[in-house]
Amino acid sequence: MPSGIVHWINERWPLNTVIRWSLDEEMPGGAGFAYVFGSSVLLIFLLQVVTGVWQLLYFVPTVDRGYDSLNYMRTEIPFGWLIHGLHYWGASAMIVLVGLHLSQAFIWGAYKHPRQLTWLIGVAQLLITLALGFTGPVLSWDERGYWEVEVGSGFAGLVPYLGSIARRLLQGGASLGQMTLSRFFFLHIAVLPGILIALIALHLVAFRHSGISGPWNEAKRKRIGYFWPDQVFLDALVITSIFVILAGLAAYIRAPFSGPLDLMQTFYVPKPEWYFLFLYQSLKAFPGRLEPVGTIGIPLIVILLLIFLPFIDRSPERNPIRRPVAMICYLIFVTWVITMAITGHFSKPGANVAATKAAAVVEPQTIPLSPVGPSSQISESSKRGAQLLNSLGCIGCHRVNGTGGVIGPELSPDVVRGKSPQWLTIQIRDPKAHYPNSIMPSFSSLSDGQINDIVDFLLTLAQGKQVPSGRAVAGPTLAPSPMPPSGPARVKVLGPQAPPGPASYIIGNVDLGEYLFKQNCEQCHGIEGKDKVQNPGSADGRVPPLNPIDPTLSDKEAQTFVNKIDPYIQHGSIPAGPNPVLHMLPFGDSKSLTQQMIANVEAYVLHLNGANRAQLVHPGMKPHLFFWLVVIVFGCAFGGFWVWKGRAR
Amino acid sequence: MEPVESNSFVATDLSVSRRAFLKRTVGVLSGLVSAALAIPLIGTVIGPSFRAKRAKWVQVGDIGSLALGQPVNLKFPFKTEDAYLRETVIHNVWVIKHSSTEVTVYSPICPHLGCHYDWHPTQSEFICPCHGSVYAIDGKVLGGPAPRPLDTLPTRLEKEELFVEWEMFKVGIPEKIPE
Repeated sequence: MPSGIVHWINERWPLNTVIRWSLDEEMPGGAGFAYVFGSSVLLIFLLQVVTGVWQLLYFVPTVDRGYDSLNYMRTEIPFGWLIHGLHYWGASAMIVLVGLHLSQAFIWGAYKHPRQLTWLIGVAQLLITLALGFTGPVLSWDERGYWEVEVGSGFAGLVPYLGSIARRLLQGGASLGQMTLSRFFFLHIAVLPGILIALIALHLVAFRHSGISGPWNEAKRKRIGYFWPDQVFLDALVITSIFVILAGLAAYIRAPFSGPLDLMQTFYVPKPEWYFLFLYQSLKAFPGRLEPVGTIGIPLIVILLLIFLPFIDRSPERNPIRRPVAMICYLIFVTWVITMAITGHFSKPGANVAATKAAAVVEPQTIPLSPVGPSSQISESSKRGAQLLNSLGCIGCHRVNGTGGVIGPELSPDVVRGKSPQWLTIQIRDPKAHYPNSIMPSFSSLSDGQINDIVDFLLTLAQGKQVPSGRAVAGPTLAPSPMPPSGPARVKVLGPQAPPGPASYIIGNVDLGEYLFKQNCEQCHGIEGKDKVQNPGSADGRVPPLNPIDPTLSDKEAQTFVNKIDPYIQHGSIPAGPNPVLHMLPFGDSKSLTQQMIANVEAYVLHLNGANRAQLVHPGMKPHLFFWLVVIVFGCAFGGFWVWKGRAR
Repeated sequence: MEPVESNSFVATDLSVSRRAFLKRTVGVLSGLVSAALAIPLIGTVIGPSFRAKRAKWVQVGDIGSLALGQPVNLKFPFKTEDAYLRETVIHNVWVIKHSSTEVTVYSPICPHLGCHYDWHPTQSEFICPCHGSVYAIDGKVLGGPAPRPLDTLPTRLEKEELFVEWEMFKVGIPEKIPE
């Protein structure tokens, strides 16, 4: 019956002709592993198309929903993690395979006559593939994706004469935003793949027209192999292995959750995808006015060399040993790319060494003593006062000498000058006497001696020159938040019975959360949330630890856990007790932290408690289970073939 | 001329079974990879389609000032969870206060086809404007195409504060089954 149907079709459509054209190819020299890369690229591209299209079921390309919709797919849709993981790792695989395919064509001299056109189309395919690799990560509109396009459009702006036009076109406006995301989406899912498919078709036809270049050794060319089934067999082995590797990568190394985009925070260190790292690192050799040379000039030269290669090297010689110039150029290029990529990966960028060092090890902040004069001029009382400001957690809310939080006003000389010691004393003991809506805790339990020391220090500050608040020696500081400009925040503490805020359903980044935690939370909750900070006047005398956190707040379901702790961060909380000195501040309601920052902190707090904010809620099948299933099935298949092959002799 | 077939990777003298071996291997491997990919592809398409909607307890409001025995429409903010979207919408329920510790709450959704019905005090009836279903104050069907009485919702009173378990039920059938 099937043969009848096939016959019916063949009378009306050239099915057999197409099949024969696809499969019947004589290969002088026979099939070989050297020739697998072209097919591998094609099949991985097919995988990218399928996994890419599949993600359209869930991803929406808007700046407010992009990140959340993608994370929903990755954590709450069965096998969403796998589709996304295959696409993420498949992109890297495709670029590696394109590089290998290009290398094989170069080494075999397959760009020479009569295959110049095949090569040219191939160069175009290379550029489109890199463009796909550039536009893809932007779509998640997270920290990583956003900064990638920010830098990329900056490069576009460096093109001489056309730069500002190019940048505007890429951004879709004066700055990055929805229009940028939309056009990157348009490019990545439709235009670039469409062009690539057309190029692939042209490339295949050109390639079949000339046949494989094959061995350069005349003797070896006498052996004949066939594309089907000899080469296809090798291709199948390689592709299957690549698939198993990709499944393993997707299962064990999840694509990162780099955190929601937050333009307020300044401590994320952007780096491009690995395949652009060589450019990233090379650019550092072209500072200042030389920058366009690095960003535009060098890549342009490389691309032009690739394009004109068949016309620069017209010699018919294909044996690599007899092409020393070509081989040396190739080796230099490969070495440059790999060295720059590795260096770029391990580089820690920073404006100065101090900032870089501080970024690497963020210590709890301590105020440097006032730079009024040499420290011998500062009274002992003042020095004790500075220490008290550290140990009592004052700098958790107040910035002093460029260090500290931004919840309360900065204790700059201008702010403190003109306040009498009596005024300062009352302000510390009973802030509400001056500001009825103040959320500053009343430090009424401090001794007169302690109050004196603090006031002395503040008065010493008042005499000092204005200290510019900027990057302090102790560590990079938080970017100023959109706070009411002066005076203590007049924000009521609603307490944890008020509902969770938007941060509760944003998946934050643990590393960014760790940094924020050190800046804002450690003063009260202790290093890594392990407590030991006293809270005089509260019922249990101390600030509750977060590591481990109160068991009634934690939950094995990440979302439930976050929903329980989020109200504390958003709305604050006043602990039980007669007169607690410290209470939890309403970071969300007072807007001292953005919702994205709170999401990052929550990811970190969950991490401290052994939970994963990006937990796989509905995995469909646990990742490691899927991988081992794949390994066992394919292992059995390979094993079966090995046995069968042995018996066939 | 007979082509000299050669592939040192798999060298055998039996050229026919060698070709068959290669073709069979390609077929099986392609099939396995396709099957392995089919699992996640189908899984993601099915996705959340068969998930039950969870009922949610919501705070409706203070019933202290309500008159006894009269249906009152209380509106309250409700945080919807639609996949990854979180939106606060205004829901409403019909509340009849029997005493300070006893209330009846009806879902505002007509069990016929899902419209919102209204209370008509002059006739002492709930009337649905879409297809004319009529209900008594105790929810029983007095007339019209409604297949079952009004759906009650579980309630909880904390002092005079009313909490309701918001749930949606399938329309058009005689049984009260959650959506």
